[in-house]
Amino acid sequence: MASVTLENVWKKYGKVEAVRGVSLNIADKEFMAFLGPSGCGKSSTMRMIAGLEEITSGSIRFDGELINKVRPRDRNVALAFETYALYPTLDVYENLAFPLRSSKRSGVDVDKRVREVAGILEITDLLDRKPTNLSSGQQQLVGLGRALSREPRVFLLDEPISHLDTRQRVRMRAYIKRLHIELGYTMIYVTHNQEEAMALADRVAVMNEGLIMQVGTPEEIFHNPTDTFVAGFVGEPPMNFLECEYRQEGGRHVLDHKGLTMEMPPHGEALAQRGAVPHRVTMGIRPFYIDIGLEKSARHVIPAEVFVVEPLGDMTVATVALLGTRLQIATELDFRAHPKQTVWLALDPTHMLLFDAETGRALIHEA
Amino acid sequence: MLELRSVTKEFGRTIAVKDLSITCEECEFLVIFGPAGAGKTTTLRMIAGVLQPTRGEVYFRGQPLKGVPPEHRNMSMVFEYYALYSHLSVFENLAFPLKARGYPGDEIKRLVAQMADILQISELLDRRPGFLSGGQRQRVALGRALIRDADVYLLDEPISHLDAKLRHRMRGELKAMCAEKNATVIHVTHDSLEAMALSDRVAVINRGKLMQIGPPDEVFHRPANEFVAGFLGEPPMSFVDVEYADDDGRAVFLITGTDTRLPAGPEVRAFIKDKGLPASFRLGVRATEVSVVPSHDGRHNVPGEAFVTETLGQRNILTAKLGKNLVQTVTPPELTFKVRDTAWLDLSEENLHVFADGLAVAHPRRQGN
Repeated sequence: MASVTLENVWKKYGKVEAVRGVSLNIADKEFMAFLGPSGCGKSSTMRMIAGLEEITSGSIRFDGELINKVRPRDRNVALAFETYALYPTLDVYENLAFPLRSSKRSGVDVDKRVREVAGILEITDLLDRKPTNLSSGQQQLVGLGRALSREPRVFLLDEPISHLDTRQRVRMRAYIKRLHIELGYTMIYVTHNQEEAMALADRVAVMNEGLIMQVGTPEEIFHNPTDTFVAGFVGEPPMNFLECEYRQEGGRHVLDHKGLTMEMPPHGEALAQRGAVPHRVTMGIRPFYIDIGLEKSARHVIPAEVFVVEPLGDMTVATVALLGTRLQIATELDFRAHPKQTVWLALDPTHMLLFDAETGRALIHEA
Repeated sequence: MLELRSVTKEFGRTIAVKDLSITCEECEFLVIFGPAGAGKTTTLRMIAGVLQPTRGEVYFRGQPLKGVPPEHRNMSMVFEYYALYSHLSVFENLAFPLKARGYPGDEIKRLVAQMADILQISELLDRRPGFLSGGQRQRVALGRALIRDADVYLLDEPISHLDAKLRHRMRGELKAMCAEKNATVIHVTHDSLEAMALSDRVAVINRGKLMQIGPPDEVFHRPANEFVAGFLGEPPMSFVDVEYADDDGRAVFLITGTDTRLPAGPEVRAFIKDKGLPASFRLGVRATEVSVVPSHDGRHNVPGEAFVTETLGQRNILTAKLGKNLVQTVTPPELTFKVRDTAWLDLSEENLHVFADGLAVAHPRRQGN
């Protein structure tokens, strides 16, 4: 296994700057996810690590060794993409053994290794079957096992499970995570699905437009996003944002959204005392921290108009319009309301995040 | 309003759709939900009239549609491979159905602008389809289908190629747009969140056959069989193999591969009395209907071995092994288990679904049931 270090890596396709000066250190045995929307540069970055793309400028090192000019097959990386092409004439055992045999390891090692990988993936009783006698889910597990059996320095996965149906995807996710725990490989996993990144990774590099916006543990990027892009990208349903003006009113610190005034949350007050709060503030609040009621009450005092209610089985999401701004709220399971119905909201101040409206940066990180 | 009566479609020896009988009411949003290859698109194409049933009939407002070509059915459709007019701009693609029906110029401009705004493609109006990403093309196709008024809208996986975030947003927009138009919609998908969020009723199909049809709430909480139970819900339902035993007059389920005995409820006993012992029993566990704790207590008395914990920010998902069975439960974000820790589950009878030979026998009791 190896650590992977990227220093100021650029990738240009003609005039298009797909990756713009990315620097990142991935520790030995770490599971790092590259997360971002289509076109953010995550796949290009991974392909440069694999050697499938030339590096325009900057350096990539494995365990300190510069690999910019090393051929892909000499980098000893394993790749797992969407399709797991298995050798149809070989049984599962031989499919798993093949990469080991071709790298000329001794016979004893091969059998032990194959059984180790099969054990973790729980495909031991499938070892004598041919791929055509496997379900597609089983084939995927074998494909994953084959990529792993060689003990690569780095294991690179590019959206390997996005095309699977829910059942297969959730199961594969658990196996990939378990594989990492048991085998301790350095894994780099590219995805646009934030739930996948959160579920699997030790740390996540959130990317947008060729840049890394934030690198952190799933907890860090979820609870302490450094800017509005990360805050809005991580978490489903996504964070709500309200554009506010910060004011002092008779000694109180308030946020004003189109005439609706709210007390500054306690952590915001501390920032305000230090003069760290700009005039225009973006307030972010997650759907789980807004309470909704069909009637006005002591707590539910903010009126809003229902846009749509989506009951999802184990969660219900209500989208409402507050003074023209759309908010999504995770409600009680059996909450129901009609479009255009008036409902009453309570916002939890302890979970309000504050961002500079001009730069998008989280205020707590500026101070 | 739209009715399929015993519709079957055979392609040579392959039976793509088998004896399907479904109705869609006026102004209903019906979702046809099933895995790849279930026959959903084939069904939609027969409703559209681009494919003819081998047997059975499609009726619209009581009249058979046999012999009525697609262009006379007043159904607006979007299929998974969108067929945009490649020589026309996005604006012209969206405007086309309106222009073809003689809408006045400024009405067309207004409706196109409104639709483009909802689908977040306003800056793309001048582009040709060849210069759009897959997700952008898909939205244009959806817009083109929804822009005009039609008797029925037929949507085949209309948002499947969008990024997760955009897809969730478009799902809400689609629901609101159709509610606003009071549209009659038949929407095909393999995405369970779409099926749950959008439908008035959902028809679950597998291998060409109808597995269950009903309001999403009912299909989710009271699935008629294992297939439906396992296919709706994220994370999907976990199944546990059990053996039935009569323990000195007490009816119990023994979890195979463990020493755990669970009481079998009255519905199970009544089922056995009525129909005899089935070949197999399986318990269904929904991740959100069952709780787990790190130490044994009165209710949490079934031990499992922690396989993996996934942290999702707002909640965690624990996968635990019970014998050879893998069971997933949702836990609060503060609760994590290390691999091979013992996790104690509450598998009280009122939290479980019971299936006999794949058919539902009992469901968790909910308030109001």
